[in-house]
Amino acid sequence: MASVQLNNIMKVYPYISGEDKKKNKKKNDNEPEKKINLQITDEGVVAVQQFSLDIKDKEFIVLVGPSGCGKSTTLRMVAGLEEISGGELIIDGKVMNDVAPKDRDIAMVFQNYALYPHMTVYENMAFSLKLRHTAKEEIDKKVREAARILDITQYLERKPKALSGGQRQRVAIGRAIVRAPKVMLMDEPLSNLDAKLRNEMRAEIIKLRKRIDTTFMYVTHDQTEAMTLGDRIVIMRDGYIQQIGTPQEVFNHPANLFVAGFIGMPVMNFFDAELKREGNEFFVVLSGVKVKLDEKKTARLLKNDVQSQPVTLGVRPEHTNISATGVPAKVDVSEMMGSSVHLHVDADGRDVIIIVPTLDMESSYNYGDLVHFTFSGNVAHVFSKETDKNLEF
Amino acid sequence: MKKTSESAAAGSGGNSKLHNTLVYFRQHWQLYVIFMLPAFLLTIIFRYIPMGGIAIAFTEYNPIRGIFGSEWVGFEHFRRFLSSPDFMRYLVNTLKLSVFGLLWGFPAPILLAFLLNRILSAKTKQKIQLVLYMPNFISVIVLCGIVRILLAPTGMVNMLLGTSFNFMTMPSAFRTIYIASGIWQGAGWASIIYTAALSNASKELKEAAVIDGANIIQQIQAVEWPAIKDTVLIQFIMSVGNIMSVGFEKAYALQTDLNLNASEIISTYVYKKGLLDGDYGFSTAVGLFNTVINVILLVTMNSLVKKMNDGKGI
Repeated sequence: MASVQLNNIMKVYPYISGEDKKKNKKKNDNEPEKKINLQITDEGVVAVQQFSLDIKDKEFIVLVGPSGCGKSTTLRMVAGLEEISGGELIIDGKVMNDVAPKDRDIAMVFQNYALYPHMTVYENMAFSLKLRHTAKEEIDKKVREAARILDITQYLERKPKALSGGQRQRVAIGRAIVRAPKVMLMDEPLSNLDAKLRNEMRAEIIKLRKRIDTTFMYVTHDQTEAMTLGDRIVIMRDGYIQQIGTPQEVFNHPANLFVAGFIGMPVMNFFDAELKREGNEFFVVLSGVKVKLDEKKTARLLKNDVQSQPVTLGVRPEHTNISATGVPAKVDVSEMMGSSVHLHVDADGRDVIIIVPTLDMESSYNYGDLVHFTFSGNVAHVFSKETDKNLEF
Repeated sequence: MKKTSESAAAGSGGNSKLHNTLVYFRQHWQLYVIFMLPAFLLTIIFRYIPMGGIAIAFTEYNPIRGIFGSEWVGFEHFRRFLSSPDFMRYLVNTLKLSVFGLLWGFPAPILLAFLLNRILSAKTKQKIQLVLYMPNFISVIVLCGIVRILLAPTGMVNMLLGTSFNFMTMPSAFRTIYIASGIWQGAGWASIIYTAALSNASKELKEAAVIDGANIIQQIQAVEWPAIKDTVLIQFIMSVGNIMSVGFEKAYALQTDLNLNASEIISTYVYKKGLLDGDYGFSTAVGLFNTVINVILLVTMNSLVKKMNDGKGI
């Protein structure tokens, strides 16, 4: 149990030789239109920069973002597996930049389990304690306790190859918790599991967290995992933090267009719209439909002295409603999901998703049907066309 | 009744498998002709037909009369060799050279592979590997020439030691010279197979060991050694199977009249008797004796290793 502070952390992978630098430059010259998510500088490839985060004692922090955003690199820097190019890492009040991984009092769970194949489950879990010269009775007690918590006692004498993916991941977690580390690091631990097992293991991790009561740093690219597990979520892109907040905060108040599009399933609907300021009131105008923003949003926009301007309007599919009047659209696809229907409609050339609860459905929707949709002023997010930032921030 | 139907089912399963194989063969016979037939013929011609020459060991071989025209002497050559006063000396020299060679020479490429695996820069690793592999391409005779020059009374070794020993005339130095030069020449090249096997060691596993607190030796024990263990065992079994097959060229090239006590081994003896003295029948018998011992050692070692290694062997 410990607090973790990352102050302006940076990771640069230096070029091995001048040749690599030239190659990269040449490649970029040839493909100017291709978006690269890592910044290439004269010093090397910048994977993480300006990463500052205060993790409270016993907090569960989830780093989430698309592949190559620098989340795993950040975790590996905390673990000591990657050198920190700049900034300061503090664990439990001590600067850890140059401390060896074994002396950081951390444990890590890897994506591919990383179990020693020639050792039994018991030996795998006991290995780190043996290396620390812990007494045999103490090792036995800790291993059996961890095995009991994770329900793997019956597999203690088996080798990893005789276990299923889910069981292996439990062993990997068990190996980490026997050490009672100050900080538990998890690098996409559920990525190798199938959907059903992933859901089960997610619930297991939530329970585990309550039992072992330590600080967690968890990396994932799956926003559902991030939303369900984290006390706070750190959303990353191209090596930069995009937003830090509780799952509720990032869902309800995305800081920018990227966060709005990344968090939430199905993804948020975006429209080209007009923000109108009329005195101390704000309206969004979409295809002639005018919706008044609620008081809280209005107050934030007034605070930022926002004026009338063209904006990118974001409305989540679950907040978009079918109505008798509103924005007209034609039905493209209707996906029956059980409790709801995901209706893909074409609104002025833009694909819009509307979630219609099955209970509210009066009739089925067919290809080409004309529908109208609308939304409330408390769920409309307005983003600057120039900076992609949420104008409320 | 049930049993009968089960065995019938198993029988029909076996038949259908054979039938499928035959159908597959008929459909793809061209592949077998193009790829397998040449390999099969080459093996027969160059590996099995020459084995007929073993018969020479049981005859008083005369090249003009041929194998079948020469006088059949049975096990006479074997009796002569085993009862010769020098037999034990040749056998002990051969065994000492190969056993000590195995003890010193076998771990060297493994250690080298572990060291190479620790080099993080791929380019530096490539350069070092290139330097290590190079001696392998020097011919044995050239290598022996270099060794003779270095160890001559006025050679570099004596200059460095400030002495003037003639190492090549010292029977006690022969084995060290033979084994050390062998390691210098072959360890780099032999490390390739272990380096390749080490590349299969999981990077994540190594990182897990680092976080667990393992030092370099413990990392090797927990991660790298298990990754190459099977390769090492197979190489070891193969090496034991060749324990009597000490190449004659190098021993012969490093041989002097004064170090014969240690340097005369079975293969140099076979060469001298067979090619220099023309006693083909006798030298083939000695060679065959050598091979039989090798086969016995190979089979014994393989079964021992299988017992110790969860049934894994050749």
